[in-house]
Amino acid sequence: MRLMGRAGWAVLAGWLWFTLVPSLPARALDVPPLSGRVVDLAHVLPPATTAQLSETLQAHESKTSNQVAVLIVPSLEDEPLFDFSHRVATTWKLGAKGTDNGVLLLIAIKERKIRLEVGYGLEGVLTDARSAQIIRNEIAPKFRAGDVPAGVTAGVQAVLHTIEGTYRAPESPTAVHSDGEVIGNTIVAVIVGVVIGLFFSRAHRVLGPVAGGGLSFLVAPWVIPALIAGAASVALVSLMSGLGQASGGGRRSRSGPFDDTWFSTRHGGWGSGGLGDSFGGSGGFSGGGGDFGGGGASGDW
Amino acid sequence: MISMTRLMGASFLLAGLLALSGCGYNDLQGLDEDTKATWSEVINQYQRRADLIPNLVNTVKGYAAHEKDTLEGVVQARAKATSVQITPELLKDEAAFKRFQEAQQSLSSALGRLLALAENYPNLKADQGFRDLQSQLEGTENRITVARKRYIDKVAEFNKMVRYFPTNLTAKFLLHLDEKANFTVADEKAVAKPPEVKF
Repeated sequence: MRLMGRAGWAVLAGWLWFTLVPSLPARALDVPPLSGRVVDLAHVLPPATTAQLSETLQAHESKTSNQVAVLIVPSLEDEPLFDFSHRVATTWKLGAKGTDNGVLLLIAIKERKIRLEVGYGLEGVLTDARSAQIIRNEIAPKFRAGDVPAGVTAGVQAVLHTIEGTYRAPESPTAVHSDGEVIGNTIVAVIVGVVIGLFFSRAHRVLGPVAGGGLSFLVAPWVIPALIAGAASVALVSLMSGLGQASGGGRRSRSGPFDDTWFSTRHGGWGSGGLGDSFGGSGGFSGGGGDFGGGGASGDW
Repeated sequence: MISMTRLMGASFLLAGLLALSGCGYNDLQGLDEDTKATWSEVINQYQRRADLIPNLVNTVKGYAAHEKDTLEGVVQARAKATSVQITPELLKDEAAFKRFQEAQQSLSSALGRLLALAENYPNLKADQGFRDLQSQLEGTENRITVARKRYIDKVAEFNKMVRYFPTNLTAKFLLHLDEKANFTVADEKAVAKPPEVKF
């Protein structure tokens, strides 16, 4: 009994050793949730400073569309500074998709390390050298003097000052662009469906239009435009092949399908706008899809 | 009767069209293009590093001209690294890929020695131009890390499709695509330990 127990413990200890110990150093720090523009997990900023910084950053974003965020962590827990900062920046997706105009200021209190992570679209103005200067000349001296809030504020001010004027907030939300794209794709889907459908309707009167409609459905973007595109091509193909036969035969069906088709495609275009803009509006802060390629600089104090 | 055979033909054509999306033709083509694009970014960042070196060498020379060995080591390693180029079309050539990696790696270590040497020269370390170059170099090393990681992920995805059934048939007989070379774990470790840049 006792021997069994001992062996059991040995097995358990061995299992623990092999499963837990090697995994400990590999365990990466979790990316904290993006709860706001200033995420102070080390509690080193007074609430007034946090509020003021958030307000400044929000005002800057609404003017320029640049997304700048600050993250202060108590410790990096042995993860390399760059790895963590790049992971946070790409997870939060600061900056707009396409312009990639996001910046992350990361501060690790225990390791006394500072990093500016700069999105692709701002690397041209907030260069590595400029980022290093901001860290060295604006942030680090104040940190060394023991005034973290002043250092963070000075760093943010310097970053905003540097990137100001690079981008401007779009006049209207980006949904307009995606609207146009959806309409375009839907029209393409209908054309493809009609052409193929006409081809097949020579082979079969019912199956042809159905094949065309099915193809439109597959090509069109999203469900609602797809349904509409499919219906439109079925209608168009049956109408057009019907007309072709009518010239030889005698049947014709005119106004019904015509009205249907035009109403449908039009409706598809406008209706999808609603899907497009669900992005904007909400009160909380979230990244806009920006990407980071490793630009920026690191420093310490 | 004739319409029946026509119908059959038409359905086969339709079935063929639909099957094309199932056999991974488009996915393979897309991934092939993606790996090329991510590789171009890797090359781009290595080139950017090579472009920074002449300036760096000149700046160091201004303060430590007598450290000839280290300086020349960097110049030679750079010349070698820039002479080994891999176009995206050559990515399936394991040997060439290995040569490329080795050349870049020896440049990394030569650079590491140069930066370590700078520690002994306080005037050099305080030079504004040197500091800027140092931060640019550090940024470039980070960009190389990111570019390599993105290439590694894309190639893994691509190679999987080239090997999985049934997309392997498309890759082999229709597109004549081969697996592409990827960075190995051994040199990932070497890269994970960048040249020491201290402030």
